[in-house]
Amino acid sequence: MRIGNALKLACFGLWANKFRVLSAMMGIVIGLFAVIVLISIAVGVKDTLLKQMGSLGAEQILVMPGRVLDTANGEKDFLSGITSVPSTLTYDDAKAVEAVPHVKTVTPQLETVSKAAYGEQNVQAVLVGSTHQYSRVQHAALAEGRFFTDEEQQSKEKVVVLGSNIHDALLGKTAQPQPGSTGAPAAEERAWWQRALDSFMAGTVVSAQETTLIGQKLTIGEHTYTVIGVLEPNATLGSSTDNNIVMPIETALASTDMKYLNKMIVEADSTDVIDEVDGAVFSAIKQNHKEIDFSVVKQDQMLGAIDNVTTILQVMLLGITAVALLISGTGIMNVMVMSVRERTREIGVRKAIGATTFEIMAQFFFETLLLCLIGGLVGIGLGYGFIELWNHYIDAFTLTLPLWAVKLALGSTMVIGGLFGIYPALKAARMKPSHALRFE
Amino acid sequence: MLVLAFYSEMKNLGGRDMIQLHRIKKAFHTGSGKQDILRSVDLHVNTGEYVAIMGKSGSGKSTLLNILGALDSADSGEYVLAGKPVHKMRQAKRTGLRNNEIGFVFQQFQLIPNLSVYQNVLLPLTYGRKKLGRKKARVMQLLEEVGLADKRKQKPARLSGGEKQRAAIARALVNEPSILLADEPTGSLDETTTETILQLFDRVHQQGTTIVVITHDQEVANRAQRVIHLRNGVLV
Ligand SMILES: Nc1ncnc2c1ncn2[C@@H]1O[C@H](COP(=O)(O)OP(=O)(O)OP(=O)(O)O)[C@@H](O)[C@H]1O
Ligand SMILES: [Mg+2]
Repeated sequence: MRIGNALKLACFGLWANKFRVLSAMMGIVIGLFAVIVLISIAVGVKDTLLKQMGSLGAEQILVMPGRVLDTANGEKDFLSGITSVPSTLTYDDAKAVEAVPHVKTVTPQLETVSKAAYGEQNVQAVLVGSTHQYSRVQHAALAEGRFFTDEEQQSKEKVVVLGSNIHDALLGKTAQPQPGSTGAPAAEERAWWQRALDSFMAGTVVSAQETTLIGQKLTIGEHTYTVIGVLEPNATLGSSTDNNIVMPIETALASTDMKYLNKMIVEADSTDVIDEVDGAVFSAIKQNHKEIDFSVVKQDQMLGAIDNVTTILQVMLLGITAVALLISGTGIMNVMVMSVRERTREIGVRKAIGATTFEIMAQFFFETLLLCLIGGLVGIGLGYGFIELWNHYIDAFTLTLPLWAVKLALGSTMVIGGLFGIYPALKAARMKPSHALRFE
Repeated sequence: MLVLAFYSEMKNLGGRDMIQLHRIKKAFHTGSGKQDILRSVDLHVNTGEYVAIMGKSGSGKSTLLNILGALDSADSGEYVLAGKPVHKMRQAKRTGLRNNEIGFVFQQFQLIPNLSVYQNVLLPLTYGRKKLGRKKARVMQLLEEVGLADKRKQKPARLSGGEKQRAAIARALVNEPSILLADEPTGSLDETTTETILQLFDRVHQQGTTIVVITHDQEVANRAQRVIHLRNGVLV
């Protein structure tokens, strides 16, 4: 009953002081907004970089054109980068590697940017020539249709599998990618409500048109190809397959001017033999090359480099989180202390006319709780909105909002707000009323 | 002993003694050292009596009234209000006493600026443990009596000095206290406004409420049944 009364008084107190409350709430909202956005930027940068760097399995070996510099202690120095030279890796190199003992599969990849046309529609796409292993090694699942087979590859069939963006663009479902951009992710450029409308209308309007290109022919360069499959959207930045058109490598070599491999992923039989295979792959390729203009990288070497970056990023995240919390915490602290100081006389009056210390504390406790909760939720909501907008319009990297950040932000607000809102109130409530009434 | 205690209870119920102060002392510690404000105050006020206290500025009138209103405690001495020994009471009991027995009109109104007149007057009832039936009706009746019914939704800042003081008096009376303590209730008011306040006090007094009023205005003091002077820390 008395708790209910205190809650009522608290709501009343907040309402009666709505302008002061609003300004206090602004402080909390801005503080939390900053915490949420800064953390999500830090996490987003970290995740994006790590994703771009490490998609290699434990039993996989990556062969890249160019040479990774060795550091003084013999480690590969990925941070200094790879000397950029035109690729000299060929399909023959891949075949040579296939002959190495304990090599299970070799997935060579040719890559170029090219135009593809279907009826009226015309898009730029990343043209990839690879083997039937591609979808497995690249973790690219099929949305519909099928992937090409080894036989189709051997017989240089003109078949292609489309990335999801390319499929959509060729169907005219989305805006034409900008000319000159390498198959811009067209779907991302539409406003959320347009997309919502699309998915809402999907069953009605779109079904009247074509919904799939499977079995259709499209033109790339001077040749026509049959679409046999469409890949699932694959958000992984850096190695996204959304803007790719994948065709058998033999077909690519025969009917396009692609010649040199962009990379080659080698799978060993098991992780036990990985070191052995690593050396053998290197020697096998070296036989065909005059100089060492390629690099063979194992996962643990990759991970070593990633570890360094991970540590740097973790420290950055920690620092940013700490600073954001400090800033928002100080803001909230100020707001709370100020508002209680302002109300010391009011506390004196309430005590003088018969409020107990408990009643005053309960009122301030609920006021603080409500203030921090509402302000906190609004701040987090705004932060969330910002992240959504960012992810919508900015392609550089994706912002991620981890749940722990929300908990941390809300929790710290509650603790700081509680401490600095309730403690001064307690001090004021325990003053003699005559004293509190004299407070200026 | 028992008989004596019973007798003293009876006497209080019968309502002879409202206030008994015995050798009240109060000093303040300031930068320049200890300052004795009340040296030894003795006071007796009967139930239903109307008393005015006068004295120079800084003589300790507000200090004394704060002690009477249980807003502050004396350094030493005894204070019995309506038979209850206030000087022995703990905080919680004093709070109850303030809410149930005492109506206090502060020197500077002390209305809560963000609450409306109505809400300010209602405030003691929200904390009260007294069952006063229909609270809203009680507040409206009082606002009617002090002539503020039509201003009940205004914030104190929009009121004139006299209106603020009437609102403060209504708040002091809403819990039907047995004693009304007023600190310079007409201090900043003109003659006509002073007169309305004094008539209000007269009515409250006629209804049986004990009144102690601090003033430096002889007009105000003349309305009381008895005038006491505070000089050099003692009442004369
Ligand atoms: N809490 C306090 N701390 C220190 N000094 C105080 C305190 N309260 C009052 N005083 C001092 O005690 C003296 C008496 O103050 P008080 O307010 O009782 O005077 P007063 O008679 O009511 O004066 P006025 O007529 O101006 O209202 C003053 O000198 C004042 O400065
Ligand atoms: Mg005074």
